[in-house]
Amino acid sequence: MTAPTATYERIVYKNPSEHHYMKVCLEFQEHGVGLNAAQFKQLLISALKDLFGEVDAALPLDILTYEEKTLSAILRICSSGLVRLWSSLTLLGSYKGKKCAFRVIQVSPFLLALSGNSRELVLD
Amino acid sequence: MVRFKHRYLLCEVVSDDPRCRLSLDDRVLGGLVRDTVARLHGTFGGAACSIGFAVRYLNAYTGIVLLRCRKEFYQLVWSALPFITHLENKGHRYPCFLNTLHVGGTIRTCQKFLIQYNRRQLLILLQNCTDEGEREAIQKSVTRSCLLEEEPGEEELSDGSEEAAEAME
Repeated sequence: MTAPTATYERIVYKNPSEHHYMKVCLEFQEHGVGLNAAQFKQLLISALKDLFGEVDAALPLDILTYEEKTLSAILRICSSGLVRLWSSLTLLGSYKGKKCAFRVIQVSPFLLALSGNSRELVLD
Repeated sequence: MVRFKHRYLLCEVVSDDPRCRLSLDDRVLGGLVRDTVARLHGTFGGAACSIGFAVRYLNAYTGIVLLRCRKEFYQLVWSALPFITHLENKGHRYPCFLNTLHVGGTIRTCQKFLIQYNRRQLLILLQNCTDEGEREAIQKSVTRSCLLEEEPGEEELSDGSEEAAEAME
C-alpha cells in the first residue's frame, strides 16, 4: 500500500533586517575628556571619511542613545555599511591629539538583543 | 589561467577652453585621478586603485585618455571620474570634465571601439561644418577611413583625429 504523497513547502527565511545595531564605548588614554553627542557623531563621520572617503562618510548612520558620562552609545547602520564602520572604528587612533580607542561591546541585527548582554551577567 | 585582469576606461576630456586639451600631460592627469579617488573613497580606495593604475594612451588633439586599473577596483575609479572638475597645469586652471566612452577588458577592444567612434564623429562633423575647405578635408578623411579597413588602427586614429581637431577649432 503506497503512502499518500505529502506536499512539502519550503520556506526560506533570509535575514531581512536592513540595519545592524552596535553598542560601542569610547575610551581615552587620559581621563577627563568629555564629548557631547554632536562631537561624538562628528568623530564617527571623520573616522569613516578618513578610511573610506566621502562616499562612505555619507552612510546613513544614527546614534540611538548616547551617555556622556561613560562615553558609550548604541549606533545603527545599514547592513551593507557594517563592515566599513567597524573597520574605521578599529583604525581610529586619536581625537584632537588625544589618544583614544573604540571598544565594540555588542553587535546584532536586532535591537532587542542589545538590551541584555550575557557577558555582563552577574551570577549570585 | 592565473593572471591579473585589468579594465581599460576610455575617456574623453571635454572642455570649453581649447587650451585645456593641449596642456594634457599623462603624469598630471594620473595624479589628478589618483587624488580624486583618494578624496572620494578614502585611503582604502586610493591605495586599492593605485596598484595597477596607469595612463596608457593620451591624445592631446582629441582629448582621448585610456586609463588602466585592476578589475576588482575599476568601479571605484569609474565612480570618481565625474568628480574631476578642473585640470591644473603650470598655474592655469581649466574647467573640464571626463566623459567615459567605453570600458574594455583589453587595449584591443578599446581601440576597435575608438576606431568606430571616430568614424561616427567624422560623419557628424561633416554635417556640422561650414567652411568649404574643411568640408573637403573631412570628406577626404572619411573616404580614406572607409577604404583602409584592415590597416592598423593608429594611422586612422591620428589622421582622422587631427583633421577633426582642426575642423573643430
